[in-house]
Amino acid sequence: MPAPALSPTAPDHPAQPQRPPTPLGLLQLFLGVALVGIGGGLPAHTRRALAARGWLTDAAFAEAFTLAQLTPGPNAVNLAAMVGAHLCGPRGAALAVAGILAPGLVAMLAVSVITLGLPGGLPPTFQSALRGAACAALGVMLTAAVPVVQVALGVRGGAVLMGATFLALAALKLDLLPVLAVVVAAGLLLNRPRSGE
Amino acid sequence: MSADPWDILLTFTRLGLVSFGGANLPEIERVLVEQKGWITPQVLAGGFALGQVMPGPNMLAMTHYGFAAGGWWGAAAATAGFYGPTALLSAAAMLAWQRLSRWRWLPPLRSALLPFGAGVLLAGALVLGRSSLHSWPAAVIAVAAFVLLQRTRVNAAVVVLGAAGLGALLGL
Repeated sequence: MPAPALSPTAPDHPAQPQRPPTPLGLLQLFLGVALVGIGGGLPAHTRRALAARGWLTDAAFAEAFTLAQLTPGPNAVNLAAMVGAHLCGPRGAALAVAGILAPGLVAMLAVSVITLGLPGGLPPTFQSALRGAACAALGVMLTAAVPVVQVALGVRGGAVLMGATFLALAALKLDLLPVLAVVVAAGLLLNRPRSGE
Repeated sequence: MSADPWDILLTFTRLGLVSFGGANLPEIERVLVEQKGWITPQVLAGGFALGQVMPGPNMLAMTHYGFAAGGWWGAAAATAGFYGPTALLSAAAMLAWQRLSRWRWLPPLRSALLPFGAGVLLAGALVLGRSSLHSWPAAVIAVAAFVLLQRTRVNAAVVVLGAAGLGALLGL
């Protein structure tokens, strides 16, 4: 899910770097980010943790965050890989990704074993609870979509391209890759660099 | 009913590489439910909901789907496939960024990807809605969660857990 915008966080003044970034330090930082980031907002937590250690300026962070949204895959994990690579090279990237995934992986595996492994399926009460949670998850997803839709509507041709993508995937059930190719090609054409701009 | 881990690895690698911004539910549903038949719509919606209350990225639902498709090896293959290649790509992109930042086609590329990403998100909401909104109370919970999250700073995990409690009480 795209995380909420970063702007409305508390004013963070980058402290003096107490220690230089190390791969193990990155592992520790991102383990912490994962644990406080239950329910989302991981990029905001990442920014705060990095600023507190004085490891990354806000400008460098904004650059990494933009790039994390442009590369495929979950933003928060992409961001961890990028920050890790930027600060400590490939080993930093590997340990940053391990850190942000580990707590959730353990928890998710435990829950999967219980919910999927029961003979005869889940108890009805648990199924009802899961259905309720799924409804709320839809609400979570829509709140995350609001800023994305707003930004997309501000782009040249954004409304039409967004609508076309929605119809192609939801109503026509087309394969995603051809839709991506057509929509992005149309978007590039509409927003092509113009001489004199 | 256990799927081949290699098949799972390749399938989830592809799903990771075509998801921008995280949840690419229309494609996940098309491939995992309709094409491969590895999970049911109920597992899709349930896993997505579980992902919201787990520490870390919400799309850990992929691990859940992998487990449903092929047990422990399935979970490992789905996780490695979904997160590994995209993380590698991100680390490489970071190292190439300085050169890319002056590229004149970068702003157009960003402008082209944004509406696509928004369309994917909305289609994903429809997929999730179709598999979870089967009654009026369910729709009310979804709308209430949306309004609560838009108007207040309450943690999303708290809202999802609260809805789970309501769901159990109401017997949705």
